[in-house]
Amino acid sequence: MGVATATLVDSVRARDWRHFDLQLLLYLLLLITVGVVMGYSAAFNTDAGAAGGTSQTVKTVIWAAIGLTLFFVASSVDYHWLRTLAAPIYLVVLGLLTLTMLIGTNLFGAQMSVTVAGLDFQFSEVSKVLMIAVLAAYLAGRRERIGRLGTILVACALMVLPTFLVFRQPDLGTALVFVGILVGMLFLSGASLGWMGLFAAAAIGAAPIAVGMLHDYQRQRLFCFLDPDADPQGACYQLVQALNAVGSGGWFGRGLTVGGEGQRGYIPVQSTDFIFTVVAEDLGFVGGIIVLTLFGLLVWRILLIGWQAQDAFGMMIACGLASMLVFQIFVNVGMVTGVMPVTGIPLPFVTYGGSSLISLMFGMGILQSIRMRSHKPTL
Amino acid sequence: MADLNDGRVDLRRSRGRFVAFGVAAVLVFTALGGRLFQLQVLGGEDYARRAAADRTVEVPIPAPRGLVFDRQGRAVAVNTPSWTVKVRPADLPEHDRRRVLARVARLTDVRASVLDARLSAFQGSPFDLVPVLRGVDREAALIIGEESESLPGVVVEVDAVREYLDERGAANGELLAHILGYTGPISRDELAARPSSGYLRDDVIGKTGIEASFEHELRGTYGARLVERNASGRLQEVIETIREPEPGTNLMLTIDADMQRLAETALTWGMDVARVSQGVTIVMNPQTGEILAMVSLPAYDNNLFARGISTDDYNVYLTDPDRPLRNHAIADIYPPGSTYKLVTAIAALEEGVTTASRMWPTYGCYQIPGAPEGECLYDWNRQGFGPLAMVDAFAKSSDTFFYQMAIGTGIDALAEWAYELGFGARSGIRLPGEEPGIIASTEWARQQGRSGVFTGELAQAGIGQNVIAVTPLQVLNAYAAVANGGNLMRPMIVRGETDATGRLVREFEPERIHAIDADPATLQTMRIGAREVITSGHAYNIRDLDLPGALSGKTGTAEFGELTEGGTLPFHSWFVAYLPSVAGATDAELAVLSFNYSAIVPGNVSAEVVKYFLQLYYELDQDLRLDPNDFSLVTAN
Repeated sequence: MGVATATLVDSVRARDWRHFDLQLLLYLLLLITVGVVMGYSAAFNTDAGAAGGTSQTVKTVIWAAIGLTLFFVASSVDYHWLRTLAAPIYLVVLGLLTLTMLIGTNLFGAQMSVTVAGLDFQFSEVSKVLMIAVLAAYLAGRRERIGRLGTILVACALMVLPTFLVFRQPDLGTALVFVGILVGMLFLSGASLGWMGLFAAAAIGAAPIAVGMLHDYQRQRLFCFLDPDADPQGACYQLVQALNAVGSGGWFGRGLTVGGEGQRGYIPVQSTDFIFTVVAEDLGFVGGIIVLTLFGLLVWRILLIGWQAQDAFGMMIACGLASMLVFQIFVNVGMVTGVMPVTGIPLPFVTYGGSSLISLMFGMGILQSIRMRSHKPTL
Repeated sequence: MADLNDGRVDLRRSRGRFVAFGVAAVLVFTALGGRLFQLQVLGGEDYARRAAADRTVEVPIPAPRGLVFDRQGRAVAVNTPSWTVKVRPADLPEHDRRRVLARVARLTDVRASVLDARLSAFQGSPFDLVPVLRGVDREAALIIGEESESLPGVVVEVDAVREYLDERGAANGELLAHILGYTGPISRDELAARPSSGYLRDDVIGKTGIEASFEHELRGTYGARLVERNASGRLQEVIETIREPEPGTNLMLTIDADMQRLAETALTWGMDVARVSQGVTIVMNPQTGEILAMVSLPAYDNNLFARGISTDDYNVYLTDPDRPLRNHAIADIYPPGSTYKLVTAIAALEEGVTTASRMWPTYGCYQIPGAPEGECLYDWNRQGFGPLAMVDAFAKSSDTFFYQMAIGTGIDALAEWAYELGFGARSGIRLPGEEPGIIASTEWARQQGRSGVFTGELAQAGIGQNVIAVTPLQVLNAYAAVANGGNLMRPMIVRGETDATGRLVREFEPERIHAIDADPATLQTMRIGAREVITSGHAYNIRDLDLPGALSGKTGTAEFGELTEGGTLPFHSWFVAYLPSVAGATDAELAVLSFNYSAIVPGNVSAEVVKYFLQLYYELDQDLRLDPNDFSLVTAN
């Protein structure tokens, strides 16, 4: 039976499951476990004490369960459906982001959320995964023309509208992730390096204009990392506290749920974007390295699946997911360790937040689907 | 299984790109690991020490603001408890924010958007309490307290707010609003202008009146205590008090609230019968410069501001054409009309233009020297008065007499004598917003691009019209200087410092700006002239008041603006008077001025206001107020 006649029924046939990548699932489960434990530890230290930690942990576990279910569903579906539906998916992304922007972030919680166990769902998270599929569909269709200037122009054109919509929400972090995905996918697709270099130079030249478009608070936070002591009680408060927390972790950390002794209590929204400070403070340098290593193994696995994919579409999806993860890990961990500006990008799988987690698990499910339909490894 | 190869036809992989990407990823992860090593292993101790230092914070202890008492020791500005709704952003979940603010808004009857805006504008630590609504009534405060379970992050605290009282101790801000002013939340600009003065982001500061001009004294010195924070950043345990707060200084006004009420009653009556929309009445002790009463109408309710005025209420004040927020007694300038003849007279006598006894012709219309034939300036009395000497000319307020005096003196000498009497400069009363006024001079003309003033302007300056603009307080202070024998005093609004019960513990010394550099005989002539204004001039029946002294003074009107339907110009009316024991004596301890803006009825309503005030103050059995329909009995000038 050829690909042309592949059907939904065909795609869930048992023989595919022989190629199920257990390593991928293992790394994901370990990272999610880190997220649950760290979320518990972080919540434990708020005034609610153990009860607060437990209630948040229950929510995270519920989200993780939903995410895993979605992972298996996506694994069992032939990912080529995404290619068939690329155009409608693109329109859905634009629609969701426009709606979010029109209704406004302040009202977001009440108006735009799919509430599951009391948590909100942010459309910008799932739109990252969907846009990877859209771009992959486009790039896979370029075949021998991949090296032409048109590839870059059209890919940029596809990305510019969603990026702008997210930027206006305002969600600077997600907008930057879109850019990271675009650059990574173009690079791995084999687009012209010369043209990409030229575009990169132009983007760096235009950076001051983009900075000018930011809100004051965004700009202040952005430049804190250059000199955190400039305004330690104001705009740089988070960063200064995060550095103190990370620094006080030492080799092996202060232990989980260290009660009132912990530093991270001073870090607002620590269970979301700043979760890595909890890892670093509780588990120390060793714990931080273990988490980074897990991420490294995961990225290696994703690149491998991409390399072995049966077609360009599958390969490009894997490349997009790898780019997204590397970019987010770099910016997030860089942010809490003071080498990157504070932009508000979640740490994949670990940051407490349903929308991020289930969007990622959906993406990983697609990856598994690609894996199950590809060759045995031939490196 | 082999047929899966079919799908690989479109696959075009670049090994180089994959390897490059992988290497880049490895480098990124290694760099992050290296940074962790640097922070945690190499710098760990340093950061741990910083973390410990961050765990204690210095928390200011606000000092109670100084109280304000009137001259008789009655409290007129006090601190009362008020409920303030505050929000701690860290405790208010983002997804719940809208619901919580909407509920608080409904309980307190404000718009949720107002609360949201105040919360969003705050830029401190998310663990700070952000005041979003002050002056919440007790009932709403209690309900919010009861619902605290379902209102995360919302706290109700009792703060001290200012309350302004009237002479009977009732919360009524209008009586003394222009003197006391009010306090309000410090603005970002005000905070930026006081970088190291200990003001807090959510602090209160005097905005106007003596609340602003005595801000430093009233505020006191904030104390501080060292407090330890628990892990979630909440303040937990007081470690030590570093500094006790020092309460603000309590002040006593020179104002007598009873007299203020009488002045307000008299002015309100006069404005009402004359259909005037803005007026001023000031009472002063000419010996010391102490202001005993200062009423500017319309007034505003400073309690609204102290509690946190709504935008709607504020806009009502801002758009009122009569500008209730301004103290017309010091912040607005008007042509002084005939009251200014005091300046012209003293200048003419001192510059040798005339002597006290020299007679001058007066005219119905005075031909300006050098001007074309027929170009003349009218006297208010179109018949003229015949020949007059200084005292009679002042008493009858002959315009044509003073045209001649002004022209003889010259514009710059006239201006010098105006400055000598305190015009053209701020008096230095410790109230914000005082205006210096405009006095015509050669220099003034040059600033307008002319070589000098016209003779016609000089003549007009001599009767206080057109090119002269002064504050009501300046007029009163000039007459007070003549009344006390030649000392130009600095008007005082605060008498001294008191204890917490309003007993004076330190009295401020009256301050003389300068002695008027005129022959005492000249001033004596003017005091006689001012007495003549009352007895034989056209102040009409005010002479019949049974007063404990020889009331002396001057009327004034100043035409301005555009012709009314009746063909007359609207005019300001002035009356200024003081009460020495006998005519010409320098012992007056009471001087009164009234000013009414834009009267359209004939007559001098200001003289009626002063008359009514004197009747009330001296508790006379007489009521000599004119029937408002009969004001025309009093000649306008």
